Amino acid sequence: MAQHPVLGYLVWAVLFGALFAWEGLALSHLSGVPTLSATFRAIMRYPFGRWALFALWLWFGWHIFVRGWHFLLRA
Amino acid sequence: MGDAALSSALIRQDVLPLAVGYALLMAALAAGLVLSLRRPAVPGQRPSPAASAASAVPADSAAGPAARGWLRLVRHVAGTAVGGYLLLMAVVVGYYFGVARVSGNFIEGAFTGCALLIGLSSPVFAAATWLVVRRRPSGNDR
Repeated sequence: MAQHPVLGYLVWAVLFGALFAWEGLALSHLSGVPTLSATFRAIMRYPFGRWALFALWLWFGWHIFVRGWHFLLRA
Repeated sequence: MGDAALSSALIRQDVLPLAVGYALLMAALAAGLVLSLRRPAVPGQRPSPAASAASAVPADSAAGPAARGWLRLVRHVAGTAVGGYLLLMAVVVGYYFGVARVSGNFIEGAFTGCALLIGLSSPVFAAATWLVVRRRPSGNDR
């Protein structure tokens, strides 16, 4: 298993923590910030926003499920 | 391979795509945030894609409301899938020729792999949508 610097994990932890903190703040209705679903709904009103989100979804799925995999009987 | 070459390859093939992807996602979220604050959404105001699709079909269509809704939904999903696929392929081709010549069949893998994902997910999405609509009480087409 490759050794990664701890700083990389910390950066990802901070990013995801900020994302969850934002969503929690939005769901608590203590502030005027919109939830992630409301934000994505606003993006998906427009065709280019839908294309961009679908492209991101494809990119993520391609990297996770397709790229680098060797299927059965494949040389 | 030396450490300098390894670092350069790591930056160009891993750090840069992640940074660009993260910047794109954050830009999209920021745009959505600005739009949402400018025009706050009212819960329950927006119809579902199928329902809004049905309303956009000309009234003189011979098909029933449900068929029109399905036709509009199929057009909506197909347009999103094709648009997203072409957008991603444009980014992949631009990345390959403009940033890093990734080894292996990168371009071919992107085209076929993403098409495979769409081909696998579309029937599942269609079946799940059909099941959700089928489980709804009659008279509630939305």
